[in-house]
Amino acid sequence: MIRLWIYILLAVLFFVFIGFWTRQAEKFLAEPILISGWALFASVAFLALFSVRKRLPFLSLAPASRWFMLHTIGGFLALSLFWLHMGSLWPKGLGDEIMAGLFYGVTVSGIIGLFLEKLYPHYLTRSGVECIYERIPNEIAEIRSMAEDVVLECARETGSDTLGQHYLETLHWFFQRPRFFVNHAFIGQSAQHWVRHQCQILERYLDEKERGYLKQIFALADYKRKVDFHYTAQSILKGWLLIHLPISIGVVALTFWHIVIVHVYYI
Amino acid sequence: MATLSRLKRWDTPFSPDMTDEEVQRLLEVKEIAEIDRDKFPVSTPLEGILKNDARTVRYEAGDIVIREGDYGNSAFLILSGDLRVVLSPGLPDEMLGRKKIRKKSFFEALSQLWKKSIIPEVRDTERYKDRSLRKTSDSGVAQVFLQDVPAVLDSNKTAVLHPGALFGELAALGRLPRTSSVFAETAATVLEIRWQGLRELRKFDEGWRSAIDKRYRENALNAYLSATELFSHLDDTKLQAVADSALFETHGKFDWHVTYNQMKDMDNASVIKEEPVIAREGDYPDGLLMIRAGFARVSVQKGNGRQTLTYLKAGDYYGDDELYRAWKGENNVTLKVTITALGYVDVLRVPSFSIEEHLFAHWEDKNKTDFEPSKANLFDQTLADGALREWAVQERFINGTQTMMIDLDRCVRCDDCVRACSDTHQGNPRFIRHGKTFDHWMVANACMHCADPVCMIGCPTGAIHRDLSGGMVIINDDTCIGCETCANSCPYSNIRMAEIRDVDGRPVVDPENQKPIIKATKCDLCAGQRTGPACVFACPQAAVKRVDFREAFSGAFEES
Repeated sequence: MIRLWIYILLAVLFFVFIGFWTRQAEKFLAEPILISGWALFASVAFLALFSVRKRLPFLSLAPASRWFMLHTIGGFLALSLFWLHMGSLWPKGLGDEIMAGLFYGVTVSGIIGLFLEKLYPHYLTRSGVECIYERIPNEIAEIRSMAEDVVLECARETGSDTLGQHYLETLHWFFQRPRFFVNHAFIGQSAQHWVRHQCQILERYLDEKERGYLKQIFALADYKRKVDFHYTAQSILKGWLLIHLPISIGVVALTFWHIVIVHVYYI
Repeated sequence: MATLSRLKRWDTPFSPDMTDEEVQRLLEVKEIAEIDRDKFPVSTPLEGILKNDARTVRYEAGDIVIREGDYGNSAFLILSGDLRVVLSPGLPDEMLGRKKIRKKSFFEALSQLWKKSIIPEVRDTERYKDRSLRKTSDSGVAQVFLQDVPAVLDSNKTAVLHPGALFGELAALGRLPRTSSVFAETAATVLEIRWQGLRELRKFDEGWRSAIDKRYRENALNAYLSATELFSHLDDTKLQAVADSALFETHGKFDWHVTYNQMKDMDNASVIKEEPVIAREGDYPDGLLMIRAGFARVSVQKGNGRQTLTYLKAGDYYGDDELYRAWKGENNVTLKVTITALGYVDVLRVPSFSIEEHLFAHWEDKNKTDFEPSKANLFDQTLADGALREWAVQERFINGTQTMMIDLDRCVRCDDCVRACSDTHQGNPRFIRHGKTFDHWMVANACMHCADPVCMIGCPTGAIHRDLSGGMVIINDDTCIGCETCANSCPYSNIRMAEIRDVDGRPVVDPENQKPIIKATKCDLCAGQRTGPACVFACPQAAVKRVDFREAFSGAFEES
């Protein structure tokens, strides 16, 4: 925690220093935009290095957790420098607008990612199950197979097809693949409600023996609901990087292009 | 109803090759002939012990019989030929078939970026050709042998062991690492007695018992007692008096991992009921209990179950508080807890008269009272306070010294830890990011580098060993013969067998039977890497930690 505050303090001091330097440059009719521009470039380059660091786990380049902390603080510093560099919230000219759009894109996706990384783990833990993402399809297939076994056993043992019919008409849809993606993404309770409702509406048509089988189906559906939540949350936790990374590559590429253009035509 | 004959102790003999003729021949060996066979119960006759708990092993000149630092469960009696024990300096790791750990330089570490193969578990099979392994004549199991015995004799202080000499019994009974290496100087035949048989011989034969106990008192006990804080103030004479009065006890089963695996599905209350009792709540304390090896549970009755207050490990002791209060004149002082063996535990019971004379008198002189609070707060904890400990004891995670704990409230399931492990270990991660969970902690399936490493018992080549400098348990890939003994012994299923491939990516098979060559693989804490455990280093959320489980109870890893 102390380290975090030290890094924040250093970032603030850096920003104040750059701000002060640009002001001084303005006073002496120098090029303040170059100072803030190069500072922004340095911070963007530093942010991009985190991705490189991740691919070099065998080099003692400080723990990834420290890099992540610096990446987060560096992101906010880059945003501040971006505003300082532009002198406004939105630039003029198509090229600069594209660059600003990408920069805001990478910033917003980063902030959303940071928020999700703080939010979801807690809920994943509280779900009470743990799933390896790549194994979730197998897990769902196993649950479905168990549910179908229960339905078949119910029909065989009780001679009634009520549970089987209801399974085919409604529950089969639920067990087929991950469901309620959007609702799970917002930590909603729709899946829980739906499962309970589907079991409740059937209960009155079942005798005691069939209700025992329904209980088993309910337990499996409830477990499947938790696996579905894992699927949703882990998909999002992995997926947001697929937005953040390509945009950041675009930002880095356009930054180089911007530097070349500025040095060729402006200075 | 299905029926099954109740399994008996000797259903699985130590060696299937022991015949009745071999047993008769052994009964004529002087050291065994002197044993009074009538002292043995009908259910455990001496002949039965020899047939089922012992085996004869032949060694060629140069074969290593035991290695310094290994954990073994056998003692050895030389029947013929001469062996040599290496006194000092100890044999170097490479000679013992172990891996020398060397940290990679920066460029060696960086070169992993382009040197790593996209095919997992690639090995340069050429390097196995200079291995110091040969198959023993009788068992067919590979042994490590010394290639240059004269050089060892020249550069190391050694002593000869002649026929009739018994060795290895202290490490076997005490579950301690071997203190020196022994190799065959000439062709030799040795009777190897497994721990269970040795225990019976010590129990029923006065001669063996007094010989083993005398050696233990002479060689190990004084050193052990003087190393403990309690007796560090005593001079040699008083220390000897304490040592002479001490009683040796072993509780539980040496191969506890077998019963642990069988009891995994039982509830906690039933498991505790099965644990051998060392001292019972309500009994009068008769001595100070000192744990020499293994673990013991300290529990009290709570409702219809038992609450685990703490656990004792090697070096811990219990009973000083009760004994002290009784000595001070308090009436009806009884033990407030029950102490049971968690798997296997080796206990020293120092009688109360010895403690009163040599310890309490000293405390009185020093006006020492600081031992009292340490035990007092044990009884103040709520069920919630001790829940994590209860779980750790139940799952035997207390055995781990480098347990991989994942804080699930921080973990974003990105698998950066798995990728980092794979990148540093031949493209195949050495752990699974999955395991048992408690609250927001997960103990992942990664080697815990146990205090009591049962995986090391029985490795025929000593390929799996504890690194004496760092304490981690590592496998020497060069001398691993893929016998799976370690993988089958690990109670936590943290060792995996991997089929290897050659540098061209082709599967490597045994030409004799076309079966794939397999090697035991597990977490080595990234020994040799500059970063330490790559999993910890690579986690952006700082969710992965390697902990000694004791830290869990001091809150050390909650704060970090």
